[in-house]
Amino acid sequence: MRRNFTALVLLCALFGPAMVFGQTKMNDGQIATVLLPNRSPLVTFRILFNTGAAFDPPGKEGLASLTAAMIAKGGTRTRSYEEIVEAMYPLATSFDWQVDKEMTVFYGTTHLDNLERYYALIREMLLDPGFREEDFKRLKADAINFLKVNLRQSNDEELGKEHLYNVIYADHPYGHHNMGRVSALEKLSLDDVRDFYRRNYTQANLVIGLAGGYPPDFVSKMASDFAKLPPGERTTVRFATPKLEPGTHIEIIRRPTRSTAISIGFPIAVKRGDPDWPALALVASYFGQHRSSNSYLYQRIRELRGLNYGDYAYIEYFPRGMFQFTPDPNLARQQQIFQIWIRPVEPQNAHFTLRLALYEFDKLLRDGLTRESFEATREFLSKYVNILMQTQDAQLGYALDSRYYRIPDFATYMREQLARLTLEDVNRAIRRHLRTDALRIVIVTEDADSLREAIINNRPSPITYTSPKPREILEEDKVVEKYPIDVKPENVRVVPVERVFE
Amino acid sequence: MKLVIVFTLSLCLPLMALAQQRDQTHKAFPYDYAMDDLPNGLRLITVPTDYPNLVALYIVVAAGSRNEVEPGKSGYAHLFEHMMFRGSKNFTPEERDAILKRAGASSNAYTTDDRTVYHEVFSKDDLEKIMELEADRFLRLQYSPEVYKTETGAVLGEYNKNSSNPIFKIYETLRATAFRRHTYAHTTMGFLEDIKDMPNQYDYSLQFYRRYYRPEYTTIILVGDVRREQALDLVRKYFGDWQRGDYRPQIPEEPPQDGPRTAHVDWPAQTLPLVAIAFRGPAYADDRKDKAALDLLAPIAFGENSDLYQKLVLREQKADLLEVEFDNKIDPELFTVYARVKNPQDVEYVRDEILKTFALFTRELVDQKKLDATRSHLRYGFALAMDSSEAIASALAPFVALRRTPETINRLYALYDQITPEDIREMAARYFTEKNRTIVTLAARPDAARKEGGR
Repeated sequence: MRRNFTALVLLCALFGPAMVFGQTKMNDGQIATVLLPNRSPLVTFRILFNTGAAFDPPGKEGLASLTAAMIAKGGTRTRSYEEIVEAMYPLATSFDWQVDKEMTVFYGTTHLDNLERYYALIREMLLDPGFREEDFKRLKADAINFLKVNLRQSNDEELGKEHLYNVIYADHPYGHHNMGRVSALEKLSLDDVRDFYRRNYTQANLVIGLAGGYPPDFVSKMASDFAKLPPGERTTVRFATPKLEPGTHIEIIRRPTRSTAISIGFPIAVKRGDPDWPALALVASYFGQHRSSNSYLYQRIRELRGLNYGDYAYIEYFPRGMFQFTPDPNLARQQQIFQIWIRPVEPQNAHFTLRLALYEFDKLLRDGLTRESFEATREFLSKYVNILMQTQDAQLGYALDSRYYRIPDFATYMREQLARLTLEDVNRAIRRHLRTDALRIVIVTEDADSLREAIINNRPSPITYTSPKPREILEEDKVVEKYPIDVKPENVRVVPVERVFE
Repeated sequence: MKLVIVFTLSLCLPLMALAQQRDQTHKAFPYDYAMDDLPNGLRLITVPTDYPNLVALYIVVAAGSRNEVEPGKSGYAHLFEHMMFRGSKNFTPEERDAILKRAGASSNAYTTDDRTVYHEVFSKDDLEKIMELEADRFLRLQYSPEVYKTETGAVLGEYNKNSSNPIFKIYETLRATAFRRHTYAHTTMGFLEDIKDMPNQYDYSLQFYRRYYRPEYTTIILVGDVRREQALDLVRKYFGDWQRGDYRPQIPEEPPQDGPRTAHVDWPAQTLPLVAIAFRGPAYADDRKDKAALDLLAPIAFGENSDLYQKLVLREQKADLLEVEFDNKIDPELFTVYARVKNPQDVEYVRDEILKTFALFTRELVDQKKLDATRSHLRYGFALAMDSSEAIASALAPFVALRRTPETINRLYALYDQITPEDIREMAARYFTEKNRTIVTLAARPDAARKEGGR
């Protein structure tokens, strides 16, 4: 046992940067692989299936997630989940899952010393799942409670952010939370899970991601094990950009809470790898770099006015942002939205803050970036990409996403694209892709009816501060407090929280 | 300037390091590091790694909400952390942001009971500029009353974002119930009434700075693509003039608990009931078995692999969350088990099952095999978490706040190796007594008015 830990010193070993996309040939087909071999004593797995919540059959929303949970947090045919937990316990490792619209990934890291033991467990979990009744009952209840308690009743920010996606993607395969809908989850059966597994966990959908100091023959061994999965057919579904009814639409979720959370967004027809993506990534970073004081919106709303804890902007799905500084990989999608996240404000300042966010967004659309902002943000992103990919697990995750988006490794892609970018490209991308003619806004607050009244009547929302403010800010506030929000009364709906995710 | 070199190990050359390690007893913190003290009391810990290009800088101030001794002044360690981003003599906040932006840095900070940690990760080429920037705020912080008042709004915003979570509420209530004199009675956020009064306390905020933002309270950790000599030169250059302080806080001692305590929270919205059962436990120690023995018991009794978890969560499925929390703290801390109960009718049952489990381990010995597996679990878990320069610095910071040296990690894990089933039973019997117990429950009562502030 002792040598196990001293060997960790090998973490000092140099990591090879080589990323290899490939196909491992089997007798009757091929299995896609993304490999990052290096000399680390750790081995990281990311076993990815190109399926997810967008493939939930209608009326069975939540099936993709529940199936993945049954594999990662349930027993196999021969071992109960208790036995799996017990076997993993001395290894201090786990096997986790994440389901997004088009990707389902299982991941975990083990020390090389324990590779055989760990792999034997996860192979059995993935290839010989037990789909046991007691696990099903537990994991279904977990999924329902996640939506009913964790999201509806414990985290106003995530509630608002997730509901915004549901509003934008109404009547679209993306139009429900990845965990599903409460009413659909309640009706799911174990046969549904078995059926989803059989149809979607196929060789054609599989990409094996592996990083670390695994032995040379390990990949072919894995590929031959996974050839046990049915061959299947490669998914060719194309998800369209949603066509939204013009005009601003606002949903105010009513729930007992002491503050008010705001999310604003609209679809963009640009994804990583598209020509305008680096330009828009730069705009989002400039306007609202996640959890950073280095962004415009944060400086205007939090630093100058002290209205809340932070204000950010995104062009890719970034769940759980309140818990982490960098995004999780393997949330790759054909369709994305532009999103502004305003962290909770005092209810009496909600109308003003919403106006301020829209005022600043209009200003961004009108004025674009200055040369100075452009260059500073470009420099930031060119270096920051290293921080995104500090760990072997992150490098592997990004490599899998690069395969999906058909781009070179992410760090190279970002640096090369950013180097080529001009201010004109960026400002053109703003004009081309950012818009205000079909905004969707979700607000979570207690006194929803009063806020609705104030918004539809465009009632002035003057603000008072506890400290003196510079003249420039007070002048600007005079504009902001009357800044018109052009929305028809019928497009501002109050929704009781119980109806969200139902 | 004369430097006291406390302890030095060679730079990290992978193969050499491996050879060295094989000759030594195994160490939970396996990296070579150097530790240097400046005459003013500031300490530098440098951990060179071969993760290329990046440097993680963690500045640990050994003061947190524990140091908020005056009544009505909870939350100031955390507020102060915010103020550290609001300008210094030579850099306005805008200039600071611009420098960090050019460096591609990830920059933030956090505050907890015993420490405040400022952390940045950036390209190694920007090390000197960032050391200069950091030194300026630690030595020459400057903010106006206006800027101060504005920032108190951001702190209230932070309270607001937490307040929608019932787990935050039960935690807040538990602290206020279990502690009556000690400053652990309030969360790091502080009591809401104190947060609301913050805009009026500009002078007090400066006093906090003068007391604690001193070299003798501070340790600089540098991990990554960095050499010790280079780090030391920069620390001398930029932090050498920092004046030592003389303030020593009188943290009120919590008297022994005189009997079991309970509290209940009516939560004004729908939620599942929560139960928190806490026993007054020991403080952190790397030279006494009390804390170490209970650290090992925590996952055995209440972890995912415990009999209780398997019963309540997996088999009976009465609870969907069962978690144990027992942080390393400077002063005696609570050993707490939290459960979320699926059906309100089962709250008492779940509470009693948890209590029975506490009682069981005061009488019976843990299985030796399980104890060995738990040692392995803790060691591998700690080792697997250190997978980047930033992660290594982040793992070091809490220990550095407690004992100012990475060596305490090695001592702690060596202590884990010595713990026997008898030790665990003895400590369980010593600490898990009825007199030491606090139970807090929380349940939905949508008609209840919102009660704020934690006490």
